[in-house]
Amino acid sequence: MNLNVTAASVFIALFLFVTWVGFIAARWRKADLNVLHEWGLGGRRFGTVVTWFLLGGDLYTAYTFIAVPALVYGAGAMGFFAVPYTIMIYPILFLVFPRLWAIARERGHVTAADFVRERFDSRLLALAVALTGLVATMPYIALQLIGMEVVIGALGFPTGGFTGHIPLIIAFIILAAFTYTSGLRAPALIAVVKDMLIFITIFAAIVIIPAKLGGYGAIFASVPQSKLLLAPPSGGSIGDYSAYFTLALGSAMALFLYPHSMTGILSASSGKVIRRNAAALSAYSFVLGLIALLGYMAIAAGVDKNPLHAAGFAQYGANFAVPALFLDMFPSWFVGVAFAAIAIGALVPAAIMSIACANLFTRNLYKEYWKPHCSDAEEARVAKIVSLVVKVGAVVFILAIPHAYAIQLQLLGGIWIIQLLPAILLGLFTQRFNANALLLGWAAGTALGTYMAASRGFVSSIYPLEIFGLAVPGYAALYSVVVNFLVAAALSPALNRLTRRAGVA
Amino acid sequence: MAGKGKRGLFARYWPRFLLIIPFGLVVYVPFYNRLEPALGGIPFFYWYQLSAIILGAAVALTVYFLETRITHTTDSKPADVDASGTPGDIL
Repeated sequence: MNLNVTAASVFIALFLFVTWVGFIAARWRKADLNVLHEWGLGGRRFGTVVTWFLLGGDLYTAYTFIAVPALVYGAGAMGFFAVPYTIMIYPILFLVFPRLWAIARERGHVTAADFVRERFDSRLLALAVALTGLVATMPYIALQLIGMEVVIGALGFPTGGFTGHIPLIIAFIILAAFTYTSGLRAPALIAVVKDMLIFITIFAAIVIIPAKLGGYGAIFASVPQSKLLLAPPSGGSIGDYSAYFTLALGSAMALFLYPHSMTGILSASSGKVIRRNAAALSAYSFVLGLIALLGYMAIAAGVDKNPLHAAGFAQYGANFAVPALFLDMFPSWFVGVAFAAIAIGALVPAAIMSIACANLFTRNLYKEYWKPHCSDAEEARVAKIVSLVVKVGAVVFILAIPHAYAIQLQLLGGIWIIQLLPAILLGLFTQRFNANALLLGWAAGTALGTYMAASRGFVSSIYPLEIFGLAVPGYAALYSVVVNFLVAAALSPALNRLTRRAGVA
Repeated sequence: MAGKGKRGLFARYWPRFLLIIPFGLVVYVPFYNRLEPALGGIPFFYWYQLSAIILGAAVALTVYFLETRITHTTDSKPADVDASGTPGDIL
């Protein structure tokens, strides 16, 4: 691939612009950034509009923009599960999280583990929540780099050897620097730029590309019939139906348990802001649905038959489908805009994820186990340093280890993070559950979910559960969290009685 | 919320039952796993789910407005949910 000079110049110009935005963000709504909730939660002062940009930029990541259409490109209808998934996240957001926000604000909680620690008075359960959050988020940050790497490669920068990694390393140094100085204010402000670039790109794509390919009818007609729909039930199996729905529901239940979503939510200025966004964020879901369709547009455009893209597909697989489509359909300068949208789309969630990890580490490991009486300034300083360490870790991870592992770990991350649901949900709405029962449920769910994924060789999270001889393939995260919940519910009454007796004696 | 009782809770929170609608729209996969009727060349499977996003947003918005009206008219604002909204910070 030769360097596409026009596209690369536009790309670099936009990248420099957001770098500047990231640094001036420190002065936006000026406050003392040496306090953790100012650095790591933007002072909990983001209103409806900023929260809309921030959560949109946070949840709809660069990896989503690359991987969802790649899945549709490769697997067809199954990849569209992202749409029912995003439909179901908002009722959950509306019902559960304003309450968590209110409690967190009143009690000064910065992380989900803070809440669990106080609510159940259990250091062990809080530790489980904190570690799960950290372990699930690390590969997620690494995946953002994959999204960035694909577009940098598609611009024609050399990708071989160590020099090939230099653009990515520069991008991450910039990211690390502005996160360190500005905290959550930086991704919040950059998200505004990112989201506008994404909206512009997608609206151009859904107008220009179908016009060039002869309309939506022609696009769908060129997709193989077997890809257009899910496989119906046959021969003792429910087929794709249960997999499709459980994948959507399980992902929806897991999404807001991720530390980076939690950070986005807790930085809102009121519960009302969160509920308004439960409606307004759907705009991103709609765009995501359109992005998914880019996978079919790539099939219709025959991007895999263009010899110019052979090297890209060889290196990045189906993830190259959307960049290839943009290269074929857009003028060079607009390719620069579109690729910048994706790369900046990686910066925003990567920044928020590293801040979320830093908050977790500082609050729930450092302060809890090493320095219980550390000052506010020390707390904020540790968090800033941890955010750097996390990012270096992600870069090393992606450069040293085959990408397949990052993807598999991310798949496991979804299964692990959903196991926090019983503790957080039940902690918010009832008093009846016992901390140790929830801990055992968490352990059982985590073990079972990991086993289910292992039984599929870590390449798929769909487990073929058999119920009375009928195979019901479904998302391992959902199956295992049901077991988690049942264990917690079954053991809680007995363990509650034990604790009470111990308290009397 | 102490002392308000089940009836008060229902009067305050009934609109939230509407939030089951978005789940209902997508739960029964066989209903929408079909090509026809197509809309402008887009198979049913795709345009149905895209429309469901808009319906889901409309439901969330409706619940939000209904709740706002309820809290304004009955003044049964529960302290643990709404109390800390800082007025005026729209942006």
